[in-house]
Amino acid sequence: MSDPDAMPDPIDKAYVEAEAVLNDEAARTARRARVLAAVARQPDAAAPAARSRPWRRGGWLVAASVSGLAFVVAIQLYRPSPLPPPIKLPAPPASPAPARVPTPPTKAAPRVERPRPAPPPVTIAPSPAPPPAAQSVAAPTPRAFPTVEPAPPPPPPADSAASERAAPVQPANQPQPANGGVDNRDAMTQVVVTAEKRESPRRSVPVAISAFAGRARDVADPGARLRAAAAAGRTAEMEGLLEHGAAVDSPDAEGDTALMKSVQADRPAAAALLRRHGASLDQKNHAGESARDMASAKGDAALDQAIGLSP
Amino acid sequence: MEPDPADDAELLSAHCAGDAHAFARLYDRYDRPCFRFIRRLLGSAHADAAEDLHQETWIAISRNAAAFDPGKASFSAWLFTVARHKVFDHFRRAKVAVLAGAGDDAALRLIPDPAASPLEAVESRDLAQRIITAVEALPLEQRGALIMFADAGLSLEEIADATGVAVETAKSRLRYARAKLRQVFAGERSVHV
Repeated sequence: MSDPDAMPDPIDKAYVEAEAVLNDEAARTARRARVLAAVARQPDAAAPAARSRPWRRGGWLVAASVSGLAFVVAIQLYRPSPLPPPIKLPAPPASPAPARVPTPPTKAAPRVERPRPAPPPVTIAPSPAPPPAAQSVAAPTPRAFPTVEPAPPPPPPADSAASERAAPVQPANQPQPANGGVDNRDAMTQVVVTAEKRESPRRSVPVAISAFAGRARDVADPGARLRAAAAAGRTAEMEGLLEHGAAVDSPDAEGDTALMKSVQADRPAAAALLRRHGASLDQKNHAGESARDMASAKGDAALDQAIGLSP
Repeated sequence: MEPDPADDAELLSAHCAGDAHAFARLYDRYDRPCFRFIRRLLGSAHADAAEDLHQETWIAISRNAAAFDPGKASFSAWLFTVARHKVFDHFRRAKVAVLAGAGDDAALRLIPDPAASPLEAVESRDLAQRIITAVEALPLEQRGALIMFADAGLSLEEIADATGVAVETAKSRLRYARAKLRQVFAGERSVHV
Protein backbone atom coordinates (compact mmCIF):
# COMPACT_ATOMS: atom_id res chain seq x y z
CA MET A 1 0.00 0.00 0.00
CA SER A 2 2.70 2.45 1.00
CA ASP A 3 5.66 2.97 -1.23
CA PRO A 4 8.78 1.76 0.60
CA ASP A 5 10.88 4.29 -1.28
CA ALA A 6 8.77 7.09 0.09
CA MET A 7 9.17 5.90 3.68
CA PRO A 8 12.01 6.84 5.99
CA ASP A 9 14.86 4.41 5.87
CA PRO A 10 17.50 3.54 8.47
CA ILE A 11 20.04 4.80 6.00
CA ASP A 12 18.39 8.20 6.07
CA LYS A 13 18.51 8.23 9.83
CA ALA A 14 22.15 7.27 9.82
CA TYR A 15 22.95 10.08 7.48
CA VAL A 16 21.03 12.65 9.54
CA GLU A 17 22.69 11.51 12.73
CA ALA A 18 26.07 11.67 11.12
CA GLU A 19 25.37 15.22 10.11
CA ALA A 20 24.25 15.99 13.64
CA VAL A 21 27.45 14.58 15.06
CA LEU A 22 29.52 16.68 12.71
CA ASN A 23 27.44 19.79 13.18
CA ASP A 24 29.40 22.86 14.17
CA GLU A 25 27.03 25.11 16.01
CA ALA A 26 29.47 27.98 16.30
CA ALA A 27 30.02 27.97 12.59
CA ARG A 28 26.31 27.85 12.05
CA THR A 29 25.72 30.84 14.27
CA ALA A 30 28.34 32.84 12.47
CA ARG A 31 26.90 31.81 9.13
CA ARG A 32 23.42 32.81 10.22
CA ALA A 33 24.56 36.25 11.24
CA ARG A 34 26.44 36.70 8.00
CA VAL A 35 23.62 35.56 5.76
CA LEU A 36 20.92 37.57 7.48
CA ALA A 37 23.11 40.65 7.44
CA ALA A 38 23.76 40.16 3.75
CA VAL A 39 20.06 39.79 3.07
CA ALA A 40 19.32 42.90 5.10
CA ARG A 41 21.94 44.82 3.17
CA GLN A 42 20.13 44.14 -0.03
CA PRO A 43 18.60 47.51 -0.84
CA ASP A 44 15.35 46.09 -2.01
CA ALA A 45 15.14 42.76 -0.39
CA ALA A 46 11.40 42.52 -0.46
CA ALA A 47 10.21 45.21 -2.77
CA PRO A 48 12.06 44.69 -6.00
CA ALA A 49 9.82 42.16 -7.60
CA ALA A 50 6.74 44.08 -6.58
CA ARG A 51 8.25 47.19 -8.00
CA SER A 52 9.38 45.62 -11.19
CA ARG A 53 5.98 44.22 -11.99
CA PRO A 54 4.25 47.50 -12.58
CA TRP A 55 7.27 48.62 -14.54
CA ARG A 56 7.04 45.61 -16.73
CA ARG A 57 3.35 45.97 -17.08
CA GLY A 58 3.75 49.64 -17.87
CA GLY A 59 6.41 48.91 -20.41
CA TRP A 60 4.21 46.39 -22.05
CA LEU A 61 1.33 48.81 -22.13
CA VAL A 62 3.48 51.54 -23.59
CA ALA A 63 4.77 49.22 -26.27
CA ALA A 64 1.28 48.04 -27.09
CA SER A 65 -0.04 51.58 -27.18
CA VAL A 66 2.73 52.79 -29.45
CA SER A 67 2.32 49.92 -31.86
CA GLY A 68 -1.43 50.30 -31.85
CA LEU A 69 -1.16 54.01 -32.44
CA ALA A 70 1.30 53.45 -35.26
CA PHE A 71 -1.08 51.00 -36.84
CA VAL A 72 -3.99 53.37 -36.56
CA VAL A 73 -1.94 56.21 -37.99
CA ALA A 74 -0.83 54.00 -40.83
CA ILE A 75 -4.38 53.01 -41.58
CA GLN A 76 -5.48 56.60 -41.42
CA LEU A 77 -2.72 57.69 -43.74
CA TYR A 78 -3.83 55.27 -46.31
CA ARG A 79 -7.48 55.69 -45.88
CA PRO A 80 -9.00 55.51 -49.31
CA SER A 81 -10.61 58.71 -50.23
CA PRO A 82 -14.31 58.54 -49.82
CA LEU A 83 -15.70 57.06 -52.89
CA PRO A 84 -18.70 58.31 -54.58
CA PRO A 85 -21.41 56.40 -52.90
CA PRO A 86 -22.58 53.75 -55.21
CA ILE A 87 -26.13 54.73 -54.70
CA LYS A 88 -25.74 58.27 -55.77
CA LEU A 89 -26.64 57.69 -59.30
CA PRO A 90 -29.34 55.17 -58.95
CA ALA A 91 -31.89 57.70 -58.07
CA PRO A 92 -35.24 56.31 -57.31
CA PRO A 93 -37.59 56.89 -60.09
CA ALA A 94 -39.57 59.39 -58.11
CA SER A 95 -36.54 61.32 -57.09
CA PRO A 96 -36.46 64.94 -58.03
CA ALA A 97 -34.60 65.00 -61.23
CA PRO A 98 -31.01 64.13 -60.96
CA ALA A 99 -30.07 65.79 -64.13
CA ARG A 100 -27.31 63.32 -64.69
CA VAL A 101 -29.40 60.27 -65.34
CA PRO A 102 -31.60 61.46 -68.02
CA THR A 103 -31.75 58.58 -70.39
CA PRO A 104 -32.52 55.24 -68.84
CA PRO A 105 -32.88 53.39 -72.11
CA THR A 106 -29.31 54.08 -73.11
CA LYS A 107 -28.09 52.92 -69.71
CA ALA A 108 -26.44 56.27 -69.17
CA ALA A 109 -23.41 55.02 -71.01
CA PRO A 110 -21.54 58.32 -71.14
CA ARG A 111 -22.11 58.73 -67.41
CA VAL A 112 -20.70 55.37 -66.60
CA GLU A 113 -17.60 55.85 -68.64
CA ARG A 114 -16.66 59.20 -67.22
CA PRO A 115 -15.41 58.42 -63.75
CA ARG A 116 -13.25 55.59 -64.84
CA PRO A 117 -10.96 56.57 -67.62
CA ALA A 118 -8.27 58.44 -65.77
CA PRO A 119 -7.76 56.60 -62.50
CA PRO A 120 -7.50 52.88 -62.68
CA PRO A 121 -9.56 51.13 -60.08
CA VAL A 122 -6.63 50.36 -57.82
CA THR A 123 -5.09 53.77 -57.81
CA ILE A 124 -4.32 55.31 -54.47
CA ALA A 125 -4.86 58.81 -55.64
CA PRO A 126 -8.09 60.35 -54.62
CA SER A 127 -10.71 59.38 -57.02
CA PRO A 128 -12.47 62.08 -58.85
CA ALA A 129 -14.69 63.97 -56.54
CA PRO A 130 -18.24 62.99 -56.85
CA PRO A 131 -20.46 65.55 -58.32
CA PRO A 132 -21.95 67.51 -55.50
CA ALA A 133 -25.37 67.18 -56.93
CA ALA A 134 -25.37 63.55 -56.06
CA GLN A 135 -25.10 64.25 -52.36
CA SER A 136 -28.62 65.30 -52.09
CA VAL A 137 -29.79 62.08 -53.57
CA ALA A 138 -27.51 59.86 -51.64
CA ALA A 139 -29.11 57.49 -49.28
CA PRO A 140 -27.27 56.67 -46.03
CA THR A 141 -24.01 55.43 -47.37
CA PRO A 142 -23.41 51.84 -46.47
CA ARG A 143 -19.93 50.82 -45.41
CA ALA A 144 -17.84 49.66 -48.23
CA PHE A 145 -17.54 46.05 -47.25
CA PRO A 146 -21.18 45.24 -46.92
CA THR A 147 -21.59 46.23 -50.48
CA VAL A 148 -19.37 43.44 -51.67
CA GLU A 149 -20.96 40.88 -49.50
CA PRO A 150 -22.04 38.19 -51.83
CA ALA A 151 -25.73 38.49 -51.79
CA PRO A 152 -27.64 35.41 -52.58
CA PRO A 153 -28.01 35.20 -56.29
CA PRO A 154 -31.30 36.75 -57.06
CA PRO A 155 -33.73 35.10 -59.30
CA PRO A 156 -33.08 36.41 -62.74
CA PRO A 157 -35.50 39.19 -63.36
CA ALA A 158 -37.19 39.16 -66.59
CA ASP A 159 -36.82 42.79 -67.41
CA SER A 160 -33.21 43.54 -68.29
CA ALA A 161 -29.75 42.08 -68.52
CA ALA A 162 -28.25 45.02 -66.72
CA SER A 163 -30.15 44.31 -63.57
CA GLU A 164 -28.86 40.76 -63.69
CA ARG A 165 -25.32 42.06 -63.44
CA ALA A 166 -26.12 44.54 -60.77
CA ALA A 167 -28.06 42.35 -58.45
CA PRO A 168 -25.31 40.21 -56.92
CA VAL A 169 -23.51 43.21 -55.49
CA GLN A 170 -26.51 45.07 -54.29
CA PRO A 171 -26.35 45.81 -50.59
CA ALA A 172 -28.91 43.91 -48.70
CA ASN A 173 -30.31 46.95 -46.98
CA GLN A 174 -30.26 49.14 -50.02
CA PRO A 175 -33.54 49.85 -51.62
CA GLN A 176 -33.87 48.07 -54.87
CA PRO A 177 -34.65 50.42 -57.64
CA ALA A 178 -37.77 49.34 -59.21
CA ASN A 179 -36.61 49.82 -62.72
CA GLY A 180 -33.01 49.83 -61.77
CA GLY A 181 -31.42 48.06 -64.66
CA VAL A 182 -29.47 51.00 -65.93
CA ASP A 183 -28.53 52.57 -62.66
CA ASN A 184 -27.63 49.35 -61.02
CA ARG A 185 -24.95 48.78 -63.56
CA ASP A 186 -23.40 52.06 -62.63
CA ALA A 187 -23.68 51.22 -58.98
CA MET A 188 -21.93 47.96 -59.55
CA THR A 189 -18.94 49.58 -61.14
CA GLN A 190 -18.60 51.82 -58.16
CA VAL A 191 -18.85 48.95 -55.80
CA VAL A 192 -16.15 47.05 -57.61
CA VAL A 193 -13.83 49.98 -57.24
CA THR A 194 -14.65 50.22 -53.59
CA ALA A 195 -14.05 46.59 -53.07
CA GLU A 196 -10.67 46.64 -54.71
CA LYS A 197 -9.54 49.48 -52.56
CA ARG A 198 -10.87 47.88 -49.48
CA GLU A 199 -9.52 44.47 -50.26
CA SER A 200 -5.92 45.49 -50.03
CA PRO A 201 -5.53 47.20 -46.70
CA ARG A 202 -2.87 44.79 -45.58
CA ARG A 203 -0.76 45.41 -48.62
CA SER A 204 -1.22 49.09 -48.18
CA VAL A 205 -0.09 49.26 -44.57
CA PRO A 206 3.65 49.11 -45.26
CA VAL A 207 3.22 51.70 -47.93
CA ALA A 208 1.35 53.88 -45.53
CA ILE A 209 3.97 53.44 -42.86
CA SER A 210 6.68 54.30 -45.31
CA ALA A 211 4.78 57.34 -46.32
CA PHE A 212 4.43 58.23 -42.70
CA ALA A 213 8.17 58.07 -42.30
CA GLY A 214 8.67 60.15 -45.39
CA ARG A 215 10.43 57.36 -47.17
CA ALA A 216 7.99 56.70 -49.90
CA ARG A 217 8.27 60.27 -51.01
CA ASP A 218 12.02 60.08 -50.92
CA VAL A 219 12.13 56.91 -52.92
CA ALA A 220 10.07 58.51 -55.59
CA ASP A 221 12.10 61.72 -55.53
CA PRO A 222 15.22 61.51 -57.73
CA GLY A 223 16.72 64.43 -55.86
CA ALA A 224 16.38 62.58 -52.57
CA ARG A 225 17.90 59.50 -54.11
CA LEU A 226 20.73 61.56 -55.47
CA ARG A 227 21.43 63.06 -52.06
CA ALA A 228 21.32 59.64 -50.46
CA ALA A 229 23.67 58.21 -53.06
CA ALA A 230 25.99 61.18 -52.67
CA ALA A 231 26.14 60.74 -48.92
CA ALA A 232 26.90 57.06 -49.41
CA GLY A 233 29.37 57.63 -52.22
CA ARG A 234 27.46 55.51 -54.71
CA THR A 235 28.74 57.25 -57.79
CA ALA A 236 27.35 54.78 -60.31
CA GLU A 237 23.87 55.32 -59.00
CA MET A 238 24.45 59.05 -58.98
CA GLU A 239 25.47 59.01 -62.61
CA GLY A 240 22.35 57.10 -63.52
CA LEU A 241 20.16 59.53 -61.65
CA LEU A 242 21.85 62.55 -63.17
CA GLU A 243 21.56 61.08 -66.62
CA HIS A 244 17.86 60.64 -66.03
CA GLY A 245 17.44 64.22 -65.12
CA ALA A 246 17.74 64.37 -61.36
CA ALA A 247 18.25 67.98 -60.31
CA VAL A 248 21.82 68.25 -59.19
CA ASP A 249 21.18 71.00 -56.67
CA SER A 250 17.87 69.73 -55.35
CA PRO A 251 17.77 70.54 -51.63
CA ASP A 252 16.24 68.52 -48.88
CA ALA A 253 14.02 69.88 -46.13
CA GLU A 254 16.98 71.57 -44.51
CA GLY A 255 18.27 72.99 -47.72
CA ASP A 256 21.19 70.60 -48.04
CA THR A 257 22.11 69.59 -51.56
CA ALA A 258 23.72 66.41 -52.78
CA LEU A 259 27.05 68.19 -52.93
CA MET A 260 26.71 69.26 -49.32
CA LYS A 261 25.86 65.69 -48.38
CA SER A 262 28.91 64.36 -50.15
CA VAL A 263 31.11 66.95 -48.48
CA GLN A 264 29.65 66.21 -45.06
CA ALA A 265 30.13 62.50 -45.60
CA ASP A 266 33.65 63.07 -46.93
CA ARG A 267 33.01 61.54 -50.33
CA PRO A 268 35.46 63.21 -52.73
CA ALA A 269 34.52 61.04 -55.72
CA ALA A 270 30.85 61.81 -55.31
CA ALA A 271 31.56 65.49 -54.82
CA ALA A 272 33.74 65.59 -57.92
CA LEU A 273 31.03 63.88 -59.94
CA LEU A 274 28.47 66.40 -58.78
CA ARG A 275 30.78 69.27 -59.58
CA ARG A 276 31.27 67.87 -63.07
CA HIS A 277 27.51 67.96 -63.43
CA GLY A 278 27.43 71.56 -62.38
CA ALA A 279 26.58 71.34 -58.70
CA SER A 280 26.76 74.68 -57.02
CA LEU A 281 29.41 75.32 -54.44
CA ASP A 282 27.67 78.41 -53.20
CA GLN A 283 24.06 77.40 -52.80
CA LYS A 284 23.23 77.80 -49.14
CA ASN A 285 21.16 75.64 -46.88
CA HIS A 286 18.72 76.95 -44.30
CA ALA A 287 21.56 77.39 -41.85
CA GLY A 288 23.26 79.69 -44.34
CA GLU A 289 26.08 77.30 -45.13
CA SER A 290 27.23 76.40 -48.60
CA ALA A 291 29.14 73.34 -49.76
CA ARG A 292 32.17 75.60 -50.03
CA ASP A 293 31.80 76.58 -46.36
CA MET A 294 31.46 73.00 -45.32
CA ALA A 295 34.50 71.91 -47.29
CA SER A 296 36.54 74.78 -45.91
CA ALA A 297 35.54 73.86 -42.40
CA LYS A 298 36.57 70.26 -43.00
CA GLY A 299 39.98 71.15 -44.34
CA ASP A 300 40.30 67.90 -46.25
CA ALA A 301 42.76 68.36 -49.08
CA ALA A 302 41.33 65.53 -51.20
CA LEU A 303 37.87 66.90 -50.83
CA ASP A 304 39.00 70.44 -51.62
CA GLN A 305 40.68 69.14 -54.71
CA ALA A 306 37.66 67.14 -55.74
CA ILE A 307 35.36 70.09 -55.70
CA GLY A 308 37.90 72.45 -57.15
CA LEU A 309 38.73 74.54 -54.14
CA SER A 310 42.37 73.71 -54.51
CA PRO A 311 44.37 72.67 -57.58
CA MET B 1 12.60 21.06 12.66
CA GLU B 2 11.39 23.52 15.27
CA PRO B 3 7.67 23.78 15.59
CA ASP B 4 6.62 27.01 14.02
CA PRO B 5 2.98 27.55 13.34
CA ALA B 6 3.47 30.06 10.57
CA ASP B 7 3.45 28.67 7.08
CA ASP B 8 6.55 29.13 4.96
CA ALA B 9 4.62 31.10 2.39
CA GLU B 10 3.17 33.32 5.08
CA LEU B 11 6.62 34.08 6.39
CA LEU B 12 7.77 34.90 2.92
CA SER B 13 4.80 37.21 2.42
CA ALA B 14 5.57 38.88 5.72
CA HIS B 15 9.13 39.35 4.56
CA CYS B 16 7.84 40.98 1.41
CA ALA B 17 5.71 43.24 3.54
CA GLY B 18 8.79 44.36 5.41
CA ASP B 19 8.75 42.08 8.45
CA ALA B 20 12.42 41.72 9.27
CA HIS B 21 11.89 38.80 11.63
CA ALA B 22 9.90 36.71 9.23
CA PHE B 23 12.85 36.03 7.01
CA ALA B 24 14.99 35.07 10.00
CA ARG B 25 12.38 32.58 11.09
CA LEU B 26 12.24 31.11 7.64
CA TYR B 27 15.99 30.96 7.51
CA ASP B 28 16.17 29.14 10.82
CA ARG B 29 13.81 26.50 9.54
CA TYR B 30 15.92 25.58 6.56
CA ASP B 31 19.38 26.80 7.33
CA ARG B 32 20.86 23.45 8.29
CA PRO B 33 19.42 21.23 5.59
CA CYS B 34 20.05 23.86 2.98
CA PHE B 35 23.65 24.33 3.96
CA ARG B 36 24.26 20.60 4.21
CA PHE B 37 22.65 20.10 0.85
CA ILE B 38 24.99 22.62 -0.71
CA ARG B 39 27.99 21.39 1.20
CA ARG B 40 27.42 17.76 0.33
CA LEU B 41 26.72 18.44 -3.29
CA LEU B 42 29.93 20.40 -3.51
CA GLY B 43 31.93 17.59 -1.95
CA SER B 44 35.18 18.05 -0.14
CA ALA B 45 36.99 19.41 -3.19
CA HIS B 46 34.74 22.47 -3.33
CA ALA B 47 33.84 22.75 0.33
CA ASP B 48 35.22 26.28 0.52
CA ALA B 49 32.47 27.53 -1.74
CA ALA B 50 29.66 26.27 0.48
CA GLU B 51 29.38 29.35 2.64
CA ASP B 52 29.23 31.70 -0.32
CA LEU B 53 26.73 29.61 -2.23
CA HIS B 54 24.57 29.27 0.82
CA GLN B 55 24.55 33.02 1.26
CA GLU B 56 23.84 33.57 -2.42
CA THR B 57 20.95 31.16 -2.18
CA TRP B 58 19.28 33.06 0.62
CA ILE B 59 19.88 36.39 -1.04
CA ALA B 60 18.22 35.04 -4.15
CA ILE B 61 15.31 33.82 -2.07
CA SER B 62 14.96 37.22 -0.49
CA ARG B 63 15.17 39.09 -3.77
CA ASN B 64 12.63 36.94 -5.50
CA ALA B 65 10.33 36.43 -2.59
CA ALA B 66 7.55 38.42 -4.22
CA ALA B 67 7.63 36.13 -7.22
CA PHE B 68 7.14 32.99 -5.19
CA ASP B 69 3.83 31.33 -5.89
CA PRO B 70 2.88 28.85 -3.16
CA GLY B 71 0.30 27.40 -5.51
CA LYS B 72 2.99 26.09 -7.80
CA ALA B 73 5.47 24.57 -5.42
CA SER B 74 6.33 24.39 -1.77
CA PHE B 75 8.83 26.82 -0.37
CA SER B 76 11.24 24.03 0.47
CA ALA B 77 11.15 22.75 -3.11
CA TRP B 78 11.83 26.28 -4.34
CA LEU B 79 14.66 26.79 -1.86
CA PHE B 80 16.38 23.58 -2.88
CA THR B 81 15.87 24.40 -6.52
CA VAL B 82 17.71 27.65 -6.01
CA ALA B 83 20.42 26.00 -3.95
CA ARG B 84 20.91 23.28 -6.50
CA HIS B 85 21.22 25.83 -9.29
CA LYS B 86 23.80 27.69 -7.28
CA VAL B 87 25.86 24.54 -6.92
CA PHE B 88 25.59 23.69 -10.58
CA ASP B 89 26.47 27.25 -11.52
CA HIS B 90 29.52 26.95 -9.34
CA PHE B 91 30.53 23.74 -11.04
CA ARG B 92 30.05 25.39 -14.37
CA ARG B 93 32.21 28.33 -13.40
CA ALA B 94 34.83 25.98 -12.00
CA LYS B 95 34.58 23.92 -15.19
CA VAL B 96 33.69 20.81 -13.27
CA ALA B 97 32.06 18.21 -15.43
CA VAL B 98 28.90 16.95 -13.78
CA LEU B 99 28.34 13.50 -15.10
CA ALA B 100 25.10 11.68 -14.87
CA GLY B 101 25.27 8.70 -12.57
CA ALA B 102 25.59 5.35 -14.20
CA GLY B 103 22.81 2.87 -13.97
CA ASP B 104 22.63 1.32 -10.58
CA ASP B 105 20.92 -1.90 -11.32
CA ALA B 106 24.01 -3.86 -10.42
CA ALA B 107 24.26 -2.01 -7.16
CA LEU B 108 20.67 -2.76 -6.40
CA ARG B 109 21.32 -6.43 -6.71
CA LEU B 110 23.97 -6.14 -4.05
CA ILE B 111 21.72 -4.47 -1.54
CA PRO B 112 21.64 -6.27 1.74
CA ASP B 113 18.38 -6.67 3.50
CA PRO B 114 17.42 -3.30 4.93
CA ALA B 115 16.40 -4.95 8.15
CA ALA B 116 19.96 -6.08 8.53
CA SER B 117 21.33 -2.58 8.22
CA PRO B 118 24.11 -2.14 10.74
CA LEU B 119 23.55 1.51 11.39
CA GLU B 120 20.91 2.10 14.00
CA ALA B 121 22.88 4.94 15.42
CA VAL B 122 26.05 6.79 14.77
CA GLU B 123 28.28 6.25 17.73
CA SER B 124 31.46 7.96 16.88
CA ARG B 125 32.56 11.01 15.03
CA ASP B 126 34.86 8.90 12.96
CA LEU B 127 32.06 6.74 11.78
CA ALA B 128 29.93 9.80 11.08
CA GLN B 129 32.67 11.19 8.94
CA ARG B 130 32.87 8.00 6.99
CA ILE B 131 29.16 8.09 6.42
CA ILE B 132 29.37 11.62 5.16
CA THR B 133 32.24 10.64 2.94
CA ALA B 134 30.14 7.85 1.54
CA VAL B 135 27.27 10.24 0.92
CA GLU B 136 29.58 12.64 -0.84
CA ALA B 137 30.77 9.80 -3.02
CA LEU B 138 27.29 9.23 -4.36
CA PRO B 139 26.43 10.49 -7.81
CA LEU B 140 25.38 14.10 -7.57
CA GLU B 141 21.68 13.75 -8.19
CA GLN B 142 21.37 10.72 -5.94
CA ARG B 143 23.17 12.63 -3.25
CA GLY B 144 20.84 15.55 -3.64
CA ALA B 145 17.76 13.37 -3.51
CA LEU B 146 18.94 11.64 -0.36
CA ILE B 147 19.73 14.89 1.45
CA MET B 148 16.49 16.54 0.44
CA PHE B 149 14.49 13.52 1.55
CA ALA B 150 16.37 12.52 4.69
CA ASP B 151 17.54 15.83 6.04
CA ALA B 152 15.16 18.45 4.69
CA GLY B 153 12.08 16.27 4.81
CA LEU B 154 10.99 16.94 1.25
CA SER B 155 8.53 14.55 -0.28
CA LEU B 156 9.35 12.73 -3.48
CA GLU B 157 7.07 15.13 -5.33
CA GLU B 158 8.91 18.10 -3.92
CA ILE B 159 12.25 16.57 -4.82
CA ALA B 160 10.96 16.02 -8.33
CA ASP B 161 9.86 19.66 -8.45
CA ALA B 162 13.17 20.91 -7.16
CA THR B 163 15.21 18.89 -9.61
CA GLY B 164 12.91 19.16 -12.58
CA VAL B 165 12.38 15.45 -13.05
CA ALA B 166 9.51 13.03 -12.78
CA VAL B 167 8.60 11.62 -9.40
CA GLU B 168 9.65 8.17 -10.52
CA THR B 169 13.07 9.49 -11.37
CA ALA B 170 13.39 11.14 -7.99
CA LYS B 171 12.32 7.91 -6.37
CA SER B 172 14.89 5.94 -8.33
CA ARG B 173 17.62 8.32 -7.36
CA LEU B 174 16.73 7.96 -3.71
CA ARG B 175 16.59 4.21 -3.99
CA TYR B 176 19.95 4.01 -5.68
CA ALA B 177 21.50 6.30 -3.11
CA ARG B 178 20.28 4.17 -0.28
CA ALA B 179 21.42 1.02 -2.02
CA LYS B 180 24.93 2.30 -2.44
CA LEU B 181 25.12 3.47 1.12
CA ARG B 182 23.93 0.11 2.35
CA GLN B 183 26.72 -1.46 0.45
CA VAL B 184 29.20 0.80 2.10
CA PHE B 185 27.66 0.37 5.52
CA ALA B 186 27.69 -3.39 5.17
CA GLY B 187 31.42 -3.12 4.66
CA GLU B 188 31.65 -0.88 7.70
CA ARG B 189 29.96 -3.50 9.82
CA SER B 190 32.32 -6.18 8.66
CA VAL B 191 35.20 -3.93 9.58
CA HIS B 192 33.78 -3.02 12.95
CA VAL B 193 32.52 -6.38 13.98
